[in-house]
Amino acid sequence: MKNRIAELRSERSWTQADVAARIGVSRQTVNAIETQKFDPSLPVAFRLARLFELRVDELFLDDQV
Amino acid sequence: MQASQETDAYRAEMRATGVFVAAGLLWVGTLALARFGPELWGDTRQVATWAAVVANVVAGVLWIVAFTRLLRAVDELQRKIMLDALAITLGAGWVAGFGYVVAERAGLVGDVDVATLLPVFMGVVFVVAFAAGKIRYR
Repeated sequence: MKNRIAELRSERSWTQADVAARIGVSRQTVNAIETQKFDPSLPVAFRLARLFELRVDELFLDDQV
Repeated sequence: MQASQETDAYRAEMRATGVFVAAGLLWVGTLALARFGPELWGDTRQVATWAAVVANVVAGVLWIVAFTRLLRAVDELQRKIMLDALAITLGAGWVAGFGYVVAERAGLVGDVDVATLLPVFMGVVFVVAFAAGKIRYR
């Protein structure tokens, strides 16, 4: 699923490891989500949204729309 | 709070990994004892041999419990990679095992120590499938 994680991360000069540490997952998970190889569960999606102070639907872009 | 949650998750994963490794080493150790013990203490001490076998089974059960706890402790992508590898391993073991049985019954292959080779085969399949999963999501 398309998302804005890489863009938002870059604005804050955070590495993938920084994001991973802040939401309690591995760096590989953050990379897989950014590159759309893996869709996160709802809890992780909400943690990401809280981290970037956005709603989930502002962070993840529905491919069907 | 957020930093605490991340640290707690990391610590839980490390603890589960440590327990899993320890349980695995215990299983290997008791397996070696059950395998080579009788050669050391002789066939007359069957009680000792039975005890070694039972200890190995108990260690194996502990290892299984440790593995399920590890699966719960790792993050969701790591869990997916492990479960995918386990599914492939189960399927490969099932197919290879029964494939050998029918081929052996048909006289197509010679008598092979399947009880030894099948677990080794499944172990190799798991390692390869796990590595492939890690590479896929790299």
